[in-house]
Amino acid sequence: MSDERTNHDLEQSLRAALRPADPGADFPAGVLARLAAEPARTLRPARSLATASWLTFALAASVVLGLFIAHERQVRRTEQGLEARRQLIQALRVTGEKLELASRAVNTTEHSTDSLHSGA
Amino acid sequence: MSSPVRKWILILAPLAAMVAPMTMAAPAAPLKLPDFDALAAKASESVDVSLDAGLLGIAGAFLDPKDPEDASAKQLIAGLKGIYVRSYTFDRDIVYPAAAVDMLRRQLEVPGWQRLVGVRKDKEHTTVDIYVSVEQGKANGLVIIAAEPREFTVVNIVGNVDLEKLRRLEGKFGIPKVPLPEGDRPTGHL
Repeated sequence: MSDERTNHDLEQSLRAALRPADPGADFPAGVLARLAAEPARTLRPARSLATASWLTFALAASVVLGLFIAHERQVRRTEQGLEARRQLIQALRVTGEKLELASRAVNTTEHSTDSLHSGA
Repeated sequence: MSSPVRKWILILAPLAAMVAPMTMAAPAAPLKLPDFDALAAKASESVDVSLDAGLLGIAGAFLDPKDPEDASAKQLIAGLKGIYVRSYTFDRDIVYPAAAVDMLRRQLEVPGWQRLVGVRKDKEHTTVDIYVSVEQGKANGLVIIAAEPREFTVVNIVGNVDLEKLRRLEGKFGIPKVPLPEGDRPTGHL
């Protein structure tokens, strides 16, 4: 008997606690307003700041890399130019020496029995 | 005419003009230089220069027009399409690779090339040959093959070779000025 009584009281307490209650007319509007306000104040600014930082870093890195590549290209071009100049001077020196050798040979051959040919 | 090189130019220039009508235009292309690796291996000093038109342009950009030597070089290379030099110096007398030299000479036997000068000095074991290709009265190629007991050199200049500018090399780039004795004044012919 006492068990049935206890169960009945418990059921009544639960019914009382879980009875439907009216949240009020402004409840949906309040929830929507809170949802709308919350991302704008917290999540979105944080994400934008991180993105901007990365973009700035990437831009700076690109500029530095570009300057480095341009510098290296200029260094290589200078080295190539100086080497070409050195080879040119060397080639002209050898050419001049051999023209002089030919000239000396002609001079001495004119007065000797060595052979001298002309294709003209 | 106070120098051997100037004298040489005085001899070459009229000859080049004379052979011009008799010759077909030679292609202004570099010769196919033989492989001189065997010579290079024996040489105590070697010069291996291959400057095509592009490299000549780059080299020209690094010549200082205020420097007399550089200015001369810049003028000289203005009409050139290439300079190719192989030069080997030895510590002892050597025998030159005849096949390689023959291969070189065969390329100069085609119409357009003329051997202007060939000197054989048997006692000194020295030979010097100068070939020139001429187009419309202007030299557009020059080849020098010089064999001495301890030095072998091939020079191939491609393009408009200005002999007068070559003459101006005298006294520059270490090329000595050698005054001619009075008795050695040029005669104007070979």
